[in-house]
Amino acid sequence: MFNLFKIEWLKIKTYRTFWILFGGFLISFPIGFSLLAYKYMESMQNTKTIEENLLKALLDAPFVFPKVWHASGWMGGMFFILIAMLFILLITNEVQYRTHRQNIIDGWSRMDFLKAKFSVLIFFVVVSTLVVFIMGLIVGSIYSTSTTNIFAGVYYVGYFALMATLYLMLAFLIAILIKRTGLAIIIYFAIVCIVDNVIGGIFTIRESQLGYYMPLEVVDSLLPFPFKPKILEKRTMADYTLVIGAFAYMAVYAYIFINYFRKTDLKT
Amino acid sequence: MLSIFLCGSICIQLFKKTEALLKFLLSSLPIYIPLMAILSINNLTKNYRSIRALDNVSFAVPPKTVFGILGPNGSGKTTLLGIVMDILKPTNGSFKWAGEQSSDELRKQIGTLLETPNFYHYLSGEDNLKIAARIKGKGLDDIPKVLKTVNLYDRRKSKFNSYSLGMKQRLAIASTLLGDPGILVFDEPTNGLDPAGIAEIRELIKDLNRQGKTIIMASHILDEVEKVCTHVAIIQKGVLKTVGSVHEIMHTSGTQNVASLLIELSAADNDLLKNILQGMSGLESVAETDNGIEIICPENITPEQVNSYCFEKGVVLNKLNVKRKSLETRFLEITGKQSDR
Repeated sequence: MFNLFKIEWLKIKTYRTFWILFGGFLISFPIGFSLLAYKYMESMQNTKTIEENLLKALLDAPFVFPKVWHASGWMGGMFFILIAMLFILLITNEVQYRTHRQNIIDGWSRMDFLKAKFSVLIFFVVVSTLVVFIMGLIVGSIYSTSTTNIFAGVYYVGYFALMATLYLMLAFLIAILIKRTGLAIIIYFAIVCIVDNVIGGIFTIRESQLGYYMPLEVVDSLLPFPFKPKILEKRTMADYTLVIGAFAYMAVYAYIFINYFRKTDLKT
Repeated sequence: MLSIFLCGSICIQLFKKTEALLKFLLSSLPIYIPLMAILSINNLTKNYRSIRALDNVSFAVPPKTVFGILGPNGSGKTTLLGIVMDILKPTNGSFKWAGEQSSDELRKQIGTLLETPNFYHYLSGEDNLKIAARIKGKGLDDIPKVLKTVNLYDRRKSKFNSYSLGMKQRLAIASTLLGDPGILVFDEPTNGLDPAGIAEIRELIKDLNRQGKTIIMASHILDEVEKVCTHVAIIQKGVLKTVGSVHEIMHTSGTQNVASLLIELSAADNDLLKNILQGMSGLESVAETDNGIEIICPENITPEQVNSYCFEKGVVLNKLNVKRKSLETRFLEITGKQSDR
């Protein structure tokens, strides 16, 4: 697959939109995270009243080790939407300009094409996970006083990688099925921002745990809002069940788009 | 027990010796093995919902030929090529490249130009060819050579979206030549080219064929096909009308296997000329055109016979032009005179 990635890299390395969106993530996430950490920690330094101190204890300083991994992962997830959009764009562009046809004519099999795009997916996940990890390390080092337990919560970075992969697999599915750039992005946003949260919310309001098994809620729950106190957490099931659920969804998405792409006519 | 074992081993020995004897006999017999077709198509059918784009098409492309696929617009030529290049999936039927079931490795050895040139707009011509070469698993050394062959070397660093239509077409042709493939497939190769470009491509195809390559070419420009192709398959509305060498097709006429002539005539009174010609025996057809009267007759009727017949009937010709029957007349005979859809 690395050879396939080298060819994909040839396609994207001089594509300006790629650098704008990818670079956008690489710049905005670290800056955003650092700023948020700075603002929060600064305001927490000046707690004088009892109420403020109580709040501080409740929220449990998300920018120090080990909780910083959780915060970094969560924030990475917020900015990750840029990369998901970029991934959809890369795939739908190939369909719109019919270069996917040319790739097959030149000798790739249908699976080769999918594997090549999957290698780009892996690339995005690896790089963004690295950035999340590095930012966690930097911000944690700045604001932590003790050096014990630095890597205690580092599994949250793993959850981020899982979340990134699932989000991109869904993007992959939508791009392959919808084929038109604009429509694919709109539908993706609709699912990510609205559909998933609404259906998940309905289940939760009805006191059901099923809401946490919704396609994207599965990974969103692994990285909840870091400023939410633990008492308010409603989820009861263990983390590993959600992880299994995430893999199950990935398998389903892959099954659908692989079968579709192998049998379809390659038209715009 | 021992006797059974002995019998068994003797039987096995006998069997082996018989097998060896048979193999020897078979190898020494003069068995005719036909030349394997480069591409063989079997009962290929393709439906787009209710439209039947291809209907049970079967034929074989002999090696080292320039095989033309001829048909009016909408006849299914591009659909056919799309299927054999695995872009489209057939509803029914099968095809084989060089005797093997189509595989991606084989496609890497075939240079193809299908419909429109599909390249990355934001990349230069050279970069686009790099990607194609990488996918084919060929080295990048061929790139300058193929660019020079199609006269695009000077513009190789310009972005694809800055190319004119003719340049885009030429880049697509350059892409097919990467890695010096033994088989080439062209779908309307002269599309968008100016007359000089068309002549260049014609020469290129002939040259490639001389080098021993097999070329499959789809076109509706009969003039080009006649000048370049050695064999042709004519398709209309998805149905294969005829297939064979160009020579065969031009010299068969309907039910007869006699070569035909096309003669253009004109006289002062063309209506009278038409009437008397319709009375002449042995003519296949008499038709009125803008330039006078066109008759099609078998080669055994000479122009002198036609000339003296007209004179005897009191009509003096002011034009008598003998044309070898062209592929165009045969084509229009076979497909009828209307374009499709």
